Amino acid sequence: MTPYVTIALTSLVAYLFAVKRLGLRPAALPPALGRLADLVGTGAIFALVNLAAAAGFVLGLRALTGRFLSLYALDDGVWLIVSMLQGWLWRLWRDARPPAA
Amino acid sequence: MRSVTLVRSLGVAALALFVLGAFTPLSTRLYERLVVPARIGPADAIVVMAAGGTLLDGRLSDDSRRRAAYGIDLYREGRAPLLVLSGASGRRSESAARAALAGTCGVPETAILALATGYTTHEEVATLGPLLRARGVRRVLLVTDGSHIRRALRLFEGAGFDVLPAPARAMDAPTKPEERVRMLHETLRESLALVYYAVAGYR
Repeated sequence: MTPYVTIALTSLVAYLFAVKRLGLRPAALPPALGRLADLVGTGAIFALVNLAAAAGFVLGLRALTGRFLSLYALDDGVWLIVSMLQGWLWRLWRDARPPAA
Repeated sequence: MRSVTLVRSLGVAALALFVLGAFTPLSTRLYERLVVPARIGPADAIVVMAAGGTLLDGRLSDDSRRRAAYGIDLYREGRAPLLVLSGASGRRSESAARAALAGTCGVPETAILALATGYTTHEEVATLGPLLRARGVRRVLLVTDGSHIRRALRLFEGAGFDVLPAPARAMDAPTKPEERVRMLHETLRESLALVYYAVAGYR
């Protein structure tokens, strides 16, 4: 558990630094957590859509060509990370849109 | 606004699943619900399920070798008179490599049935079922990995066999968050496969 104790300690240091030195408001932390949930949620949607699309692609190619393609090819941790990054970028781009006049 | 709430809720759920999966016994509990306990006893045949073919140089993968070795152990314990070594179809025969391994371990050639049975669990059972029935096999000792055994067992039972599960590998109780996440991943993957098989009507 040592790495996680380290993370807890650096989180505490970062919190104190943010409040004392940078002047950030503690009340702004819960909304920031909400934004984090938004990013993760958007990434999860992209991951689910990618999974469904890739599975459909594999099954479709099997049916069309008669050649075997394994669904285990979708079992890839890097693919999940790329899907999450895809979702985060999309979300940040969307949120950077200037407000309607 | 409603879609924003939905996205945020999904994010909270994903984060909660990750934290609970990594830092609590949730992964172990879910995995235990997926695996089928071993029930070793006398059978008409030991059936060792394929494990993704062979490596590029024709050698068995670790997964394939582990399953085959467990099937050979069961044969040498006298659990059944027939050792069925299934293998994925392809240029390099997994079943032949397994049969060679069984031969070097002292299993007589006449007791080995080595077959290329297709690419999926469904295809394996569809191929093996009629062949085993033709040999009078009714009860099988089913050897595959712990997380995969429920799916294979359902198919064999659906094909009319009495099945004794003999998992070749069950994941050890995880001690680190990374191991718990890996266990959760394996459980979710196999659960999706079970759903897919149910939707496709493979039972």
